[in-house]
Amino acid sequence: MTSHSITHEDEFRAGRELSLDHRKLGMWLFLASEVMFFGGLIGTFLHYKATVPSPESAELDTVLVGINTFILVTSSLMVVLGLDSIRRGNRRGLLTYLGLTALLGAVFLGGQGYEFVSLYGHGITLTSSVFGSSFFTLTGFHGLHVLIGVAWALLTLGKALRGKYSAEDHVGVEAFGLYWHFVDIVWIVLFTIIYLI
Amino acid sequence: MTSSSSPSTHVASRARQYVMVFVALAVITAIEIAMTQTSIPASLANVFFLAFSLAKATLVATFFMHLRDDSRIYTAIFLLPVVLVLAFSTLMLMSAGGH
Repeated sequence: MTSHSITHEDEFRAGRELSLDHRKLGMWLFLASEVMFFGGLIGTFLHYKATVPSPESAELDTVLVGINTFILVTSSLMVVLGLDSIRRGNRRGLLTYLGLTALLGAVFLGGQGYEFVSLYGHGITLTSSVFGSSFFTLTGFHGLHVLIGVAWALLTLGKALRGKYSAEDHVGVEAFGLYWHFVDIVWIVLFTIIYLI
Repeated sequence: MTSSSSPSTHVASRARQYVMVFVALAVITAIEIAMTQTSIPASLANVFFLAFSLAKATLVATFFMHLRDDSRIYTAIFLLPVVLVLAFSTLMLMSAGGH
């Protein structure tokens, strides 16, 4: 290795000077790709909403989904309170809030499952109409992201139980939090364009 | 937060700020649900719904995802595709409206 070669340590130091953590940078780049992914699905839904009449949308239960929205927002609060706990060295707090996050995520999925079953009972299915296809594809992919988030929360909880995180090192919790909050933001947008407008 | 390697001592809790943001999100969501039960003209209500949605998403990104305190590079990485998606959706809806 010559004296002019750039080592991993040099690159790492350069990132630090920009106040960048390479793990968080990777997470933000991933979220940027997720914006494009959901952007395509949302664009498709909006296109069909604007061009194809969808009387089936009258069957949507805005109040039930509103409560589900409240549950997901509450889970986001649990994540930041967990992060706040471990930043101050409170591992017990982190464990509690991560557990509540996974629980609330599971409750959200239960509510979404109930909604899906109810809509199928009204004859609105993945293949019944353009509305059904675009609705279930969009909300289904979001639900899949919540499911992955619940699994990630449990994985993070397991690592926290083994003492992996501390006040000095908690980027793993922060990266999970970024993902979870992003899924929350996507739902805030979906709630508006599907159920309110 | 700007760094994950800060010492454990002297780290102030942000719990109060987080709870205040949560209360704002909950109140806005409650207003949205209440508005769906009223007879406000759809054209007017939709403007409010879009504004509320933007406000909620901004609150989550700014405070819960810490974009307010973190490097602006993270903000740029996140906002660039958002702007592209908004431009794409707007142009597509304008096109759909023309048919």
